[in-house]
Amino acid sequence: MVTPPDSALRPLRGLRLDLSQRTSAVEELPAEVARRWLGGRGLGAYVALRERLYAVEPLAPENLLVFAPGPLTGTGAPASGRYSVTGRSPLTGTVFDGNSGGMFGTALRRLGWDYLVVTGALDEQGYVTVGLGPSAESFDGPGGVCVHSAGELRGAEVPVALARLRELHPASEAAVIGPAGERGVLFASIVNNRGRSIGRGGLGAVMGSKRLKALVIGGRGEHRPPVADPERLAFIVYEAEKLLKANPITSTALPEFGTSVLVNVLDQAGALPTRNHRESRFEGAAAISGEALKRDHVKRRSACRGCIIGCARRTEAGGQSGEGPEYETIWAFGAQCGVSDLTAIVQANYACNRAGMDTITMGSTIACAMELTEVGLLPDGPRFGDARAVLDLTEATAAGEGLGAELGYGSARFAARRGRPELSMSVKCLEMPAYDPRGMKAQGLAYATSNRGGCHLRANMLGPEILGVPKMVDRFATLGKAGLLINLQNLNAVLDSLSVCKFTSFAMKEDYFARQLAAVWGEPVEPQELLLLGERIWNAERLFNLAAGFTRDDDTLPDRLLHEPVPAGPSAGQVVDLPPMLDEYYISRGWDEAGVPTTAKLERLSLVEAAADAGVVPGVRRHAEAAAGDGGDAVPGSGASSGDPVAASGQEAGS
Amino acid sequence: MSSAVLEQFRQIGRDLFVAGVISSHGGNLSVRMGDRILITRRGSMLARLEERDVIETGLDENDANVMLASTEINVHRAIYQGTAAQAIVHAHPPYAIARSLMCDEIVPIDSEGSYLLHKVPVVHTELTAGSKEVADLLPRWLKDYDIVMLRGHGPFAIGHLLEEAYQLTSVLEMSCRIMTIADGFSEQIKEYRKGSDRYDTW
Repeated sequence: MVTPPDSALRPLRGLRLDLSQRTSAVEELPAEVARRWLGGRGLGAYVALRERLYAVEPLAPENLLVFAPGPLTGTGAPASGRYSVTGRSPLTGTVFDGNSGGMFGTALRRLGWDYLVVTGALDEQGYVTVGLGPSAESFDGPGGVCVHSAGELRGAEVPVALARLRELHPASEAAVIGPAGERGVLFASIVNNRGRSIGRGGLGAVMGSKRLKALVIGGRGEHRPPVADPERLAFIVYEAEKLLKANPITSTALPEFGTSVLVNVLDQAGALPTRNHRESRFEGAAAISGEALKRDHVKRRSACRGCIIGCARRTEAGGQSGEGPEYETIWAFGAQCGVSDLTAIVQANYACNRAGMDTITMGSTIACAMELTEVGLLPDGPRFGDARAVLDLTEATAAGEGLGAELGYGSARFAARRGRPELSMSVKCLEMPAYDPRGMKAQGLAYATSNRGGCHLRANMLGPEILGVPKMVDRFATLGKAGLLINLQNLNAVLDSLSVCKFTSFAMKEDYFARQLAAVWGEPVEPQELLLLGERIWNAERLFNLAAGFTRDDDTLPDRLLHEPVPAGPSAGQVVDLPPMLDEYYISRGWDEAGVPTTAKLERLSLVEAAADAGVVPGVRRHAEAAAGDGGDAVPGSGASSGDPVAASGQEAGS
Repeated sequence: MSSAVLEQFRQIGRDLFVAGVISSHGGNLSVRMGDRILITRRGSMLARLEERDVIETGLDENDANVMLASTEINVHRAIYQGTAAQAIVHAHPPYAIARSLMCDEIVPIDSEGSYLLHKVPVVHTELTAGSKEVADLLPRWLKDYDIVMLRGHGPFAIGHLLEEAYQLTSVLEMSCRIMTIADGFSEQIKEYRKGSDRYDTW
């Protein structure tokens, strides 16, 4: 591998905004931090662990939001125009990051910032601008930071807020919350221009708790993200795009149908969760498929900046128009609720987009309510198949009205309050998405071990278990897949930190990302080094969660998936035999039987000091008693660390 | 060892022989299972693997089973310790071995090889079978390339699954066959790949 002469690997330059004090400050992290944590999710995990967010209430002013693009953002690498937001989730209690496309990440880098940290809370609702020039309400400090009264934006829906901010600040990019975030819905999203969302774990509610309606940054910065060897990068990008164009998933299926192409695929495999995961095939699948969406609702394709895949969709339904829905959204409001009315599903998606809410959790929480109705615990509640109820409850949740006010806490708390916690189809309080683990067993292990709860974006075994990427494995086999899953988890941590779209990995292996990064940095980067880096990020997140009170007991699945066989279809009779999979996973991870990284593993990952700072001691079963906290709600891991962190803030964890 | 894992060994072993890239008792396979590895038995016939032919031993530490393991056990261990490999295929493909005797890297000219390999480094050691020298050398190269050719001996390929490593082995051999056939025409190749002059920098 050729090594370009001048390194572009530089210290990370960040801007910290303290909303309470109305101050800003420049901070710099050594280039070694960039080398070990990259940016995006990795940098967020590093900051969250270093600043001990596991001991902070998620909705307290002390919780942080770390906005961070990655080293490939804005460089021309395929599908790399992304950024992450990290904080402690009010829904799960875990460390939590989400990432999103659009232009926000590139704009941040062009302003010369590798990351922004937002802490504290405003006295009253407002929005903050960065790099857009001074105003009467400037922060004390660098970065051109100003606070503005929310004014007419108070309570504004997401598209309205984004449009108005673009009028007020023409050359800007904004990340906003909708009414759901202002109201504290625990699965509220942060949405940036082009309707791209930081979804799932409720970081929008964290932003709302800071009374921060929007973060608006200058869109015409002149700092071009450094690329040490542009010619080399162009060569690697050309070779990478050859693979993307040759792969039928990235060149045909996703561009033509979007992610919703998966409805029929998962249904035919018997892995499409239906009616709150009671079944794994849906008789209405064809009516809500990607093919039906394309035929009846799609108006045109769209793409994130710099992406040649172009999986996004502009759609119309019932006189409304908007972005999406994605596959998981169609599933959540469709099969999971027993609804085959695609128009209603698309409209429910629009309602979530307007309010700034996660669609997976919204749909699955409604499905939970539907089952509670069936078992007689929710008089006059919604029933499976009722499309009108799905729409009404989505709107009610956004408005905080009636039953919607309860649904805004997510299915785990809702089901617990109604006396049937096992009817929440969630892991660590995060609703699982559209892949039934009884039909793809390693996906169950992926959900159980995910650091942010029931999530397909930490690792999706759809590739090896259904699509044959990288190769097809026996989807019903229980053992022998832990290593494959771990590699996928580590790789995804890398992709989220670079920050590039995971869909590129359908066609490209880790060596392509290493070569791109080597060209950008001008330093050799081995693919294995990237995977080790991903392993470090994964273990850092694990340390955070252990310090927050999570235990092996939280690495599990809803009882239904463990004990209720699929009634019919290709996965008939299947359940997930999780304990042996978990044992194999822990051993393969280098963790002890309690799920704590061993000393040898921590040493290999340079995380010994970080573990000590977090009070995590290998070989000691800990915090089991803390897992039932948070006022009796079914919230695992909500106990604050009992450790006594001593390492000085500002030092690199693990250095 | 689960039956599914044994079946993977059996299928890949049989395919390697049928494809003509190993002799009757040549080559070896392994997969990593956490801090343990499963590796083919020394002297086993990959085309006829039985349960007794797949040996489980430690990744970092020896145990009694090491007596039965492939002569390349130390090389496999070193690769797992130095890379993120989950599976290793080592074979003796004749066209690739022949080509390795004449060059320091193999740069395919066919489309499939160009897409999947770009180039394959050729490395050499004095002792080529199971030596410490090989164990020291190969992991360093396999950090950057998923398949590396040991001159005169054969390639070591890594992957998340045995099938991935087998695919790389198969593609390398096919590319080398095509290069050998093309050499026979003694004609200048008409280039069809943009940027192929940079494949040697891959």
